[in-house]
Formats: sequence, structure tokens, C-alpha cells
Amino acid sequence: MNIIGPDYLVFGVDDVAASTEYLTAFGLKPVDVTSEGGLFEALDGTGLIIRHKNDPSLPPALPTSNMLRQQVYGVKAAEDLDAIEAELSKDRRVTRLADGSIELKDDHGFELRFQVTKRRELVMPAEKINAPGAPAQRKPNEIGVWEEMPALPRTLSHVVLFVPDIEVATSFYCGRLGFVITDTLTGAGPFLRPKANDDHHTLFFIRTPDYMKGCEHLAFHMGGPTELMVAGTRFVKKGYQSFWGPGRHKFGSNWFWYFNSPLGCHFEYDADMDKHDDTWVARETPLNAESSQIFLFEMREKWSPAGGPPPEGKK
Amino acid sequence: MSERGTAGGEAGTWICRALDIGEGEARGFGPFDDSKRKVIVVRHNGALHAWLDACPHYSTGTPMAWKTDAYLNGDRTHLTCHSHNALFQMDTGKCVLGPCLGQNLKRIEIAVDEEGDVYIAAPRKGGLA
Repeated sequence: MNIIGPDYLVFGVDDVAASTEYLTAFGLKPVDVTSEGGLFEALDGTGLIIRHKNDPSLPPALPTSNMLRQQVYGVKAAEDLDAIEAELSKDRRVTRLADGSIELKDDHGFELRFQVTKRRELVMPAEKINAPGAPAQRKPNEIGVWEEMPALPRTLSHVVLFVPDIEVATSFYCGRLGFVITDTLTGAGPFLRPKANDDHHTLFFIRTPDYMKGCEHLAFHMGGPTELMVAGTRFVKKGYQSFWGPGRHKFGSNWFWYFNSPLGCHFEYDADMDKHDDTWVARETPLNAESSQIFLFEMREKWSPAGGPPPEGKK
Repeated sequence: MSERGTAGGEAGTWICRALDIGEGEARGFGPFDDSKRKVIVVRHNGALHAWLDACPHYSTGTPMAWKTDAYLNGDRTHLTCHSHNALFQMDTGKCVLGPCLGQNLKRIEIAVDEEGDVYIAAPRKGGLA
């Protein structure tokens, strides 16, 4: 089962116009978006699909206030869809759609869809840095930052779910779909990586009461920490509300910056996540502020020391 | 002056003009004095209510808007924390759906003077016209 990761996340929102404004400002590109909603994509074509919550074409809502309606996973080939269908049709209904994709529910009732991935291959440089002792990554006269530098989400990185039963969730995704646990924050839950993706995680669970079941956050990979800082700074300057960050997580090593959203969950810019293979031995540590991040900063308005003596009369 | 009155600023601190907040509208002001959190002022059924902009889902409270002054849900029926879509009644501050179900926003007592200016007041129950 060569599952790559989420291609799309589908939301049923209560304000399509506000969500459209938000997703566009976040840096996603509207594709055939109307007042009814549509697709907002990152540079590789992954992204979000939104519709009004009363749109009958949406999968059913969760029995909570959460707006997530479906997670659409990309797989490598049609054979992988056949394998998933064969495994999961043993104990649940699996619906084969006209385009070959399949739909089903996980053991918590989250709606899933699997399709041959529609993501486009990205060929772009990572953020380049210069450091003593290592070959310069930027050529002479190649500058690192400029005011209008691009800082757009490259790909949908991961989704984090509030689930009432970690064991049930882990058994389903690892036992039935071939995900592996890369690390565990005890008291929250495990980080999961699917077979055909070497990112530290595309899925993470947080144990919560049943009435919170849903999406806690979703994240998009940026081209590096500088792009993350630039995109987040631009977002704050437009009035959007920071929730946590910028900082850098310990597990996964990814930089992070989380924001509130009108989609009822957090949106994260992330960058520079660890890669793993099957030789990795999962770590485990209790969830707390110390284990969650190596450092944490808070945005402040731009300022600079002017130098020289204080202005006349102000000592 | 009680803790309730000082949570979002000193009593007597000017917040806004009453006319700035239309029926069914919410806006954020501050933060005032040493508080890190803004004060949300909302008008519901004609009465003004003020709440600390701090969702009780987390012990430290977290800011609730998704954008400047965007404190309401799409249907404009509830104050909303746009972290996890927790819905709060505008006039009681009670969470009726979401992670902090049954918990309350912290009320900021306010007073409106003859000029129509809204101030943080010594604590008393309920919203003021």
C-alpha cells in the first residue's frame, strides 16, 4: 500500500467568503473557485477543498463542531487502491467511484478517500544557506532575502486529528494501511508516516474527549525557515491571528507557525522536517512545553536601534 | 477593584464609543495596561457585553479571532474561538459547543457614560446598554 500522504482535505464551512479570503491570503491558489467554494492548491497541486456546510455534495459532517469532512489520500498507483480495497472491504463498506478512487470510513468515523495522487512533481531549490566550514550554497552576489521574495506553501504536509481512542486510531492506520510510528508524545499520541513518504509525519493524533473529534490542525511545507518566517510575518501584518510560533519542534525538527482560521482548526506553516526510513527507532517522551519545541518566539513589530545619542529632551 | 474588573485593564480605562458597536457586531480593543489579551465588545439584543479575548480551552487562554475583529461564526450567532470552532453565547459567555463545553469566557465589567463612551468599570452583573 504505497500511500504518499494527504492530497486534499475537504471542509464544510459556515462562511465560504471568509474562508476564501483566508486561504488565498495564506498563500494557496484558488482553482475554479466560486461563491460555492472550490479547490485551493499549494504549488504541487495538493490543498483544500471547501464547500458551504449545507452543500449536499459534501460527505457527512462529524458529530462535533469540527468542519473537516474528508481526508483525500494520494497513492502511487491503481494497484495500491486495489490493495486498500481488498484489505478494508473485509470489515466495512468500500465504495469505488467512477474515477477509480475509493471511499470508506476509518474506525473513528472519519471519512477517507484514496486516489492515485494528483500532486505534481516539484522541482525547486530548498532555502540555501552559507556557513563557515561548508561549501557556500549561494553563489557570490546571490542574496538571501528581499522584500518581495516568494514564500508560498509548496505541498500539504500533514493533518492532526483529535481522536478519543489512540489505540483504535493507531491500529487502523498502522495495522490496516501500513503507516509506521516515528515518535510518540505520551499524553497526546503518535506521529505516523505512510509507507511511500519519508517525512517524519503526515499524520498525528491527539487524544481528546469524543466531543472534540476532528481536525486540530493541518500544515503546509514551506521552502525553508526563512520562507516560513516571511509568510507568517506577512500574514500577521494583514491582521491574521497567530496561535503558536514561530518556533521549532523537537520531534520532526520542523519549524512551525500556527494560526487561527475560519475553518475551525489551526493552519500551520512548517519547514525543514526530518526524513526517516525503516531503520529508525521511534522515540517516546511525555508531552509538555519542553518536549514540544526546542525554542519558541513571538512576533513583534519591526524595530531597530537608531544609534547615537537619544533624541533631544528624551533621556 | 476585583480581579474580574482588572483582567483586561484598569477600571476607568476607556475602551470605545458605544456607537462603534452595532447590533450583532463584535470588535476587539486593547490590550490594556499589563494584560496580554484584548477585550471583545459585542452588542446582543441591544446590550453591550465585554469579554476577555481568551478562550478557556487552554489554561493561559488564547486569542479567539481568525483576523482582526473577526470574532463571530459564519452565521453571526455566537462568539467563536477560531482555534477549534468553540461557540460561546454572546450575552452569557458560556461555551455551548466545542473543546471548552460548559466553560465561560471571563466577563469584563463595563460602564457607558453620558457621552456614550465605554469604560472598564467596577464589577457588576450583566451587560450594560
